[in-house]
Amino acid sequence: MPLDAYRINSEPYYEPQAAEIDIFTAAYSERLPVMLKGPTGCGKTRFVEHMAWRLGKPLVTVAAHEDMTAADLAGRYLLEPSGTVWHDGPLTQAVRQGGICYLDEIVEARQDTTVVIHPLTDARRILPLEKHNEIVPAHAEFQLTISYNPGYQSAVKDLKESTKQRFVAIDFGYPAPSTESAIIVRESGADSALAALLVRIAERSRNLQGHGLDEGASTRMLIHTGRMVRAGLPLSAAVQAGIVLPITDNPDIRAALTDAIAACVP
Amino acid sequence: MSAKPSAALHVPSEPEGVAQRLHAMMRQRDALRPLFLATWEALSGQFDAAQLETWAGGVLELVNVNAGPACLIAYWEASRNAASTRDIAPLIGAAQIGAEICRHAGAPAATASLNALAAARRSFGGTALARWWRAMEVLAREAPESVLPAAGRMGQILLPGTIEAFEDFIAAGLRSAAGDRNRRLAFFSLQDDLARRMIARDPGGVGFPDIQAELKAFTTALWGELPLLRSMAGDSMDKPQRRSTISGPIIRLPESYRGVQGDAARALFRAATAHAQAHLVLGRARFPIGTLKPLQVALVNLIEDARVETLAMRALPGLRRLWAPYHVAMPGGVATAPVLLARLARALFDPAHIDDDGFVAKGRALFAAALPRIEDSAISREIGTLLGNDLGQMRVQFNARTYVVEPIYRDDGLGLWDFGEDAQPPDDVLDLFIDAMRVESQERADGSDQQTEPDSAEAGIGRGRPVAPDDRGMVIARYPEWDRVHGIERPDWTVVREVAAKTGDPRAIEHALDGAGAVRNRVARLVRGLRIGRTVRLKRQYDGHDLDVDAMLDAGIALRSGQEPDPRVFRSSKSMHRDLSALLLIDISQSTCDRLPSGATVLDIERLAVAVLSEAMDQLGDPFGLLAFASDGREDIRMTSIKGFDEAYDRPCRARLAGLSSGLSTRLGTALRHAGAVMATTSASRKLLIVLTDGEPSDIDMSDPLDLVEDTRRAAVNLHGRGIDAYGVVLGAAGIASAARIFGRGNTMLVHRVEDLPTRLSELYFRLARR
Repeated sequence: MPLDAYRINSEPYYEPQAAEIDIFTAAYSERLPVMLKGPTGCGKTRFVEHMAWRLGKPLVTVAAHEDMTAADLAGRYLLEPSGTVWHDGPLTQAVRQGGICYLDEIVEARQDTTVVIHPLTDARRILPLEKHNEIVPAHAEFQLTISYNPGYQSAVKDLKESTKQRFVAIDFGYPAPSTESAIIVRESGADSALAALLVRIAERSRNLQGHGLDEGASTRMLIHTGRMVRAGLPLSAAVQAGIVLPITDNPDIRAALTDAIAACVP
Repeated sequence: MSAKPSAALHVPSEPEGVAQRLHAMMRQRDALRPLFLATWEALSGQFDAAQLETWAGGVLELVNVNAGPACLIAYWEASRNAASTRDIAPLIGAAQIGAEICRHAGAPAATASLNALAAARRSFGGTALARWWRAMEVLAREAPESVLPAAGRMGQILLPGTIEAFEDFIAAGLRSAAGDRNRRLAFFSLQDDLARRMIARDPGGVGFPDIQAELKAFTTALWGELPLLRSMAGDSMDKPQRRSTISGPIIRLPESYRGVQGDAARALFRAATAHAQAHLVLGRARFPIGTLKPLQVALVNLIEDARVETLAMRALPGLRRLWAPYHVAMPGGVATAPVLLARLARALFDPAHIDDDGFVAKGRALFAAALPRIEDSAISREIGTLLGNDLGQMRVQFNARTYVVEPIYRDDGLGLWDFGEDAQPPDDVLDLFIDAMRVESQERADGSDQQTEPDSAEAGIGRGRPVAPDDRGMVIARYPEWDRVHGIERPDWTVVREVAAKTGDPRAIEHALDGAGAVRNRVARLVRGLRIGRTVRLKRQYDGHDLDVDAMLDAGIALRSGQEPDPRVFRSSKSMHRDLSALLLIDISQSTCDRLPSGATVLDIERLAVAVLSEAMDQLGDPFGLLAFASDGREDIRMTSIKGFDEAYDRPCRARLAGLSSGLSTRLGTALRHAGAVMATTSASRKLLIVLTDGEPSDIDMSDPLDLVEDTRRAAVNLHGRGIDAYGVVLGAAGIASAARIFGRGNTMLVHRVEDLPTRLSELYFRLARR
């Protein structure tokens, strides 16, 4: 079977926050494109993996970046000893062979790139490969999912209205404290008291969002910190290395955050 | 030591020369003689005859300027105190400068200065002392009336402890008054805010401005609400350290905590802010003052503090570590009210603390009993009133005038009370808060605090106090200014006021534009040139999203002819985002009303040039702002916003442009700083500031134009450091030298013929915008 390498065989752990599983299932059954919104490290990618496993479909993930062009998604001619050879891009592979294509942080890509997905995300469901002089009709199992972090978008880096309006959106936030500590316990192996403390610490940094920090500490950060504590590091050092230092370079904010975190620790 | 016997030989029987004359003189002054002889005795133990001779010369100099007996006694006193030193020169210098001060400022001033010498000696010696005298002499010459008040407060003035700080203080006082005798007097008698702030700032200390950003972030992180932090000036040395205070949503903190330095000061600021914000977040209740006695008010404050802190520490247990170091009250000792209150505060804060006093124990028991209702602020009033009655019956002394809240990080409690709309609270309760209120009314009077204060306590109380109306416009910012002579930056030196724009007739602008068809056409062509061609195609690249067919053909040919092909066979493209915002800063000082040969004023041409360029920027879609400025001394820099960045360039905007009128002076440095602050709010990656001015900076209170040029240059350099490109467009040749100094030669454009300005300005913009 094609795209076998992209199949997920064991269940990725995912703790539902709201009705997102139902929404995604419904959207997939209708092959509607889905947009996942939310801050970094709150479980968007994990969710897509979980859904791909649940639906039993291969998952092709592309992390968008500033230099990504349409050719990086659709494909290009490459030079080989025998001459030029067409090579399908990841998006084209998923379109031809059926599967979920996940474009991570789509706003990072240049705007001309995002236009490539337009014909795939409306009733046409085709991918025109202008360079290859081909129109690829989407496989019946193909579905497109994108993620998008509204937090650090600037005026320049925002999705076009014409792109936004093609998608069904699911909003991700930081999980509720009890859910989040359950996730930390499950993923890092920390005990529940430590997990609860880490969630309280995260809340301090999330309070600073927009007042010195672009984003607060993510669940992923808390899991990493929890793992470092479990590996034997004292809590204060783990928090410093796992949360405070990565999150900001501003000395004032750093000092303030360190002190605020100290206020959480009994 | 060999000098000693010879001096002793001469004294007092046969002193020669000057000393002899002095001795002869003193023989006739019965009142002075004993003191003089005692001083002579003390000095002759240390100095030889020649040195004593010069000293006597110094005394005679004081006599010659009619310094009077008090001054002589002061000098002798100072001399006796200095007798242990080896060097007589400072003493002679003191007499000379004392005489000089006497000549300029009169005998009492000279006497006070000599008396102040003791304080100066405590702070420094040697050359620093000589500098102190020189600064005093300058003061006597420039501000004779101020010597007496300044000398009388020398201990306070010298608190910062360095001679540089003292020299700055004198210089700042002379400057800020700008020749106004009364303002000088206010400054040197420490009535003035700036004066107090200058001496309050001790070098090792941490002031509120240093730590403000950190405090804000800290408190936001704790409670998730952005605190409104302000500092309060006017902490005088002779009173206990002011506590923080809450008024409405605003937390006011002392400018600095005296005697607390470095990390300890940081920790104290954090403790104070965390406490105050805990009140705002966890206990917003306000208690009606009713008929409570001051002692009860203080106790209700104390219980409410404990209640709020208990709640806060439940959520954030680590706060205990932040606050605990300040609870230092110990059991035992004299049981006065302030002591008992501090002990109760500690007992409630720290359950493990042992204090067997009956009153403290009762307070503890009451508080513990009320713990199940801890969310309810009513318990504070209940317990506080009860305990207040108890303490009242114990007949312990409580003086509302001198009471300050302990521990130091807690607020004064004013924010907890609702004084009602009309009822004037009893005077004795007012005493508790009198300091806080004085600060408020001061800040209102000088209009420096434009925060919308809630209709709360101080509104009711403030009613009786006259507040000077300020019709000079709303104060929107204060900026530092560079002092070239002393090489320091004076904080909060200039005051920027927003002046509402007058509207003129927009048709005037439209007519002028119609009359400038040629220029407009040129600019329109420039606009078209800039709008198209936003994507750049890059050919023959090592890497790219596509093959470059031409390069491939070349490579194919090279391969077949046995040559090494060029590996650059790809093409890529790069899109050019226009991400630029521009601010036009327009000088509308008096000189812009000069008439040109054509009959138009300079301002008319400036207006037209701005209109032409605005039209172009509007078409390009570049965000831009228009700001006009003029100044009338450092307290009054007037900014008129014609167009904000997020406003549309519409008719009302053109009406405001048409309504500009000339007047006043050009304090360019402050205008640049303000423009920088305005531009900081825009998010464009390239920020362009174009200053339209017709000459060099000047202002009524600045005699040396170089001072402002240098200040402006620093402001421009600072803008550059913040990523803002500042360009000066200078009309007429007069200002070119200073403009080049301010903006740098490459960033200055001289427009010889003012009539050329519309064309040149737009050309400059397009040249800059393309980069």
